[in-house]
Amino acid sequence: MVVFVLENVKPVLRGELSRWLFEVKAGVFTGRVSALVRDELWDLIAQKLDHGSAVMIYPKNCEQGFDARILGNPSRSLVDIEGVLLVKV
Amino acid sequence: MSRLRTLPKARDRISFLYFEHCRIEQDEQAIAVFKGKSKFFVPCAAISTLLLGPGTSITHAAIKTLSNNTCEVQWVGEDLLRFYASGRSGSGNAKRIIHQATLWADSIQRLKVVRRMYLFRFDDPLSDDLTLQQIRGHEGVRVRTLYQHWSRQTGVEWNGRDYKQQDWNAADPINQALSIANACLYAVCQAALHSVGYSPALGFIHTGKPLSFVYDVADMYKAKTTIPAAFEAVSETYFNLDTLVREKCRERFNEQRLMHRLVQDVDRMLGFGDDEETEPICFLWDDVLESVEGGKNWAEE
Repeated sequence: MVVFVLENVKPVLRGELSRWLFEVKAGVFTGRVSALVRDELWDLIAQKLDHGSAVMIYPKNCEQGFDARILGNPSRSLVDIEGVLLVKV
Repeated sequence: MSRLRTLPKARDRISFLYFEHCRIEQDEQAIAVFKGKSKFFVPCAAISTLLLGPGTSITHAAIKTLSNNTCEVQWVGEDLLRFYASGRSGSGNAKRIIHQATLWADSIQRLKVVRRMYLFRFDDPLSDDLTLQQIRGHEGVRVRTLYQHWSRQTGVEWNGRDYKQQDWNAADPINQALSIANACLYAVCQAALHSVGYSPALGFIHTGKPLSFVYDVADMYKAKTTIPAAFEAVSETYFNLDTLVREKCRERFNEQRLMHRLVQDVDRMLGFGDDEETEPICFLWDDVLESVEGGKNWAEE
């Protein structure tokens, strides 16, 4: 299971993602893909992001139960505090 | 009360989060940690205990929010070395502490609990006819072998557990790491016991200290959590040892499903049957009927 949230990206990128995933709301994609495909999709988003922003959330075997990545939003970042993921502004 | 049910149970929470040299405030009905120019959002309802090291300041509003979310707050010394104080944490009834006190006060039942707690730590069952003194001997051997095993495994030199409470820097790195790791484990155990209403003072094996029961419970998990975490951390780094120790502890806690097991294991040790989680009703003690309903006027009887 993976969730992508995209903001301010080109329709072509959304189109590419919707080949694998389900766009439940404008810019919000979800679905079940392998870890390999998920990482490839993230690389694709990173390449075609331009001035937009993207978030990826996926399950992980850790205390929080998930991991997340952020791109293109300079005001918000994710930090690892001794193994716990927190949002820093 | 319906609001309370939406809170994650103690077992689903992140074990602990440690902060020092920062300011903690309420921020839009949530908690934010301010450190330098950055602000971190802390999901307080998803954390079991917030450990505050030196140089932290926290506002009244933040404590109130943490309390509403039943996130325990513990004030600790540098590197979590010493436990100073803790804030309240929520349990809706007194069933567990009454059960605990009943067993604790009866030497026959207490001995049974002590045996169960010792036996929990051994992979192979011990024979039934061993006396408490003999079990204690076996336990000593087990712990000694354990330290030697991890010393060989990680290549960290081991010359015995040795630390001086007054002089932190006099201890060798592995002893410092063990102290930090154990302090984390104690904090988590205390928070878990607190959250369901056990008394940290009524210990079965340990006795006489305000946190005796916390030491009893923590000892059940050291072999699989803090001891390997401390040895591994020391074998990997000398730089920022405390941070790495806490990170390793967190990994081990997660791998052992510590938060899931803690309350369950303690209930089993004490033979506490968790029947239905009823809404707390206040009872009045009665010498004949054991207890009668509270909040009622008994003038008619």
